[in-house]
Amino acid sequence: MGMDFLTALHVSGTALSAERVRVNLASSNLANAETTRDANGNMYRRLDPVFEAMPLGDASEISPNATGPMGVRVSRIVADSGEGRKVYSPGHPDADADGFVTFPDVNPVHEVVNLLSASRSYEANATALETLKQMAARGLDITR
Amino acid sequence: MRTEMDLAFAKINGLDGAERSIEQSPKSPNAAAFAGELDRAIGEVDKLQVEADQQAARVASGGGNLHEMALALEKADVGMRLAVRVRNKVVETYNEIMRMGV
Amino acid sequence: MKIFDATLNQLERSLDVRLLRHNLLSANVANSDTPGFRPKDLDFTAAMASVENHTQNSATLQAVTTVPGQMDLGGVPIGSASPQDAQLSPKDLPVVDIPSNNASLDGNTVDLDRTMVAMAENALQYGASARAASRKLAILKYVVSDGN
Repeated sequence: MGMDFLTALHVSGTALSAERVRVNLASSNLANAETTRDANGNMYRRLDPVFEAMPLGDASEISPNATGPMGVRVSRIVADSGEGRKVYSPGHPDADADGFVTFPDVNPVHEVVNLLSASRSYEANATALETLKQMAARGLDITR
Repeated sequence: MRTEMDLAFAKINGLDGAERSIEQSPKSPNAAAFAGELDRAIGEVDKLQVEADQQAARVASGGGNLHEMALALEKADVGMRLAVRVRNKVVETYNEIMRMGV
Repeated sequence: MKIFDATLNQLERSLDVRLLRHNLLSANVANSDTPGFRPKDLDFTAAMASVENHTQNSATLQAVTTVPGQMDLGGVPIGSASPQDAQLSPKDLPVVDIPSNNASLDGNTVDLDRTMVAMAENALQYGASARAASRKLAILKYVVSDGN
């Protein structure tokens, strides 16, 4: 349960995975900030992860009031369902009849902040993992 | 008495015997002095064990001072090693004396 | 014959509680971006005190009687299950929500820096307890081997 090293390992592991998803999505958003047409001919839609706490340990622990250690997971990835940004650009190949091009609703500044924040969290969780490894080593040293 | 101390000295029939026979021998002021000295030394080692335990308990319960604890533990370790060495020497000497006969 | 004293037991328990606290803090770090997440921690000193009570209660139920002629050196008999074998779980300990004044827009109140500092301190203390246990056992080992 909350008592062993494996649980803590698992907790940090889930966080590293989740933050990596966040980094990947932010990168994708940045890369496609101007993508008006993808392989299917559709405008790129900004993707955001939704984080959710995930109780680890035995099934009896899974409840809203679970006191056991919580990992994290990306419960779903939400695609932006908005209208996009309309920019007047008559010469553009994807301009509509009125000369407007619809760009994805991606704010590069926002995405960079996201990237940085995800990086920081990733680092923190990596440190937590390292700390756990050190503790395990000290614990085993008792046998020396 | 601390458990390590008890273990060290409870096993030693030799030392027990040595101390007893020294105490019982007549006209030996040195014997009494020796026994007294032995008692004092045992007390010192015991104090070191107790201090080490107290320091460890403090750290275990969330307070304490790490380097104080570390020093106390090392002193207890050294003290115990010395005590065991001395004990071994005393037993060895006693046995030798007994072998000599008089 | 009993050779493992109360201090060693206390050190063992402190290791358990420290690990449990690491798990809690890890969970906080893992959920530093989870909307609405409330971080948890435990007061170590209070937790140790409550474990102490828990142990003593079960110890009195399993009082070991001394056989006449047996050396009683105090402590726990070798080979017998220790009274605190019942697995410690977060439910038994004073786990509390960490109070916070600044929630971010999504309701998350994890203070990452404070948490990392707490985690570092906790790990340090864990190492200290492990060291102390190791040393005590080393002294015992030396004595048991007659200094050889």
